[in-house]
Amino acid sequence: MDRIDAAQARDHIEMIDRILAESQPRLWAGGEFFVIWGTAAAYITILFQLVNVGVVGSATLWSVPFVIAGCTVYSIVRGRAMQSGIARTSLVQREFFNVLWLTLGLAFVVNVAAFRLFPGIAGAAIWSVAQAIVLLYIGIHGNRRAQIAGILVVASLVVANFVAPSLSAYVLAAGMLAGYTGFGVSELLSRD
Amino acid sequence: MDELLLSKVRLGVVAELLNFDWVAFSELVRALDVSNGNLGAHMSKLVDAGYVEEQKSFVNRRPLTRYRLTKRGRDAFASHVSELQALLKEAT
Repeated sequence: MDRIDAAQARDHIEMIDRILAESQPRLWAGGEFFVIWGTAAAYITILFQLVNVGVVGSATLWSVPFVIAGCTVYSIVRGRAMQSGIARTSLVQREFFNVLWLTLGLAFVVNVAAFRLFPGIAGAAIWSVAQAIVLLYIGIHGNRRAQIAGILVVASLVVANFVAPSLSAYVLAAGMLAGYTGFGVSELLSRD
Repeated sequence: MDELLLSKVRLGVVAELLNFDWVAFSELVRALDVSNGNLGAHMSKLVDAGYVEEQKSFVNRRPLTRYRLTKRGRDAFASHVSELQALLKEAT
């Protein structure tokens, strides 16, 4: 087949338009990741606060690396299992996972390697900022629940800034649970 | 015009892959409403030309073949569509 005529060209163009209109990829966020990371971040934030005020002993902080390692291992194993079995993976989806891991990875690095610049509650606030970026990124791709969740996390940051210092950690943790974990739960409940 | 993309099935495959990172063979069969054998032959030509990348794996002991568009395939598709549009414009 060397050439095609105008009628065939129109037919081909119409087919392309139809395929592109029908294959608008929807961003799938993966609820379980949000549930475990939101809960872990809230747990760590509250634990540090409880240690600071002397309610629990500092030895309990040893649970933090285990919690983070557990969440990381689960995310990698679950992510790989899901990735390999998916019949269609969109470019938007790949971009989302890049944003997710870059944002949370940077927050992790800041917490571990720049703790003198971001001491105490600032470390938790960095996590909230990272979570808000991820949620709002999903939100701009048309997910209304993610928009609301992102706004909740941002609101928790603002509120935490103005409440009594002894309450800031609890407000941030509440934002993580309501926003990040809450969004994950809502995604799991809405899954087909 | 791009010889390979003059085939409606191959053009359809490239259009299906355009917005996706990886698409399973079974998904392409369903979306394009073609037989396994027919699509397999077209996919081989696209893979050989470097327009499409193939990935074979096993999921739950079942084989899974997935495809994604390469930069070469994307560029070929873009210039082919431009030429189709130019042809239409010429005709009207």
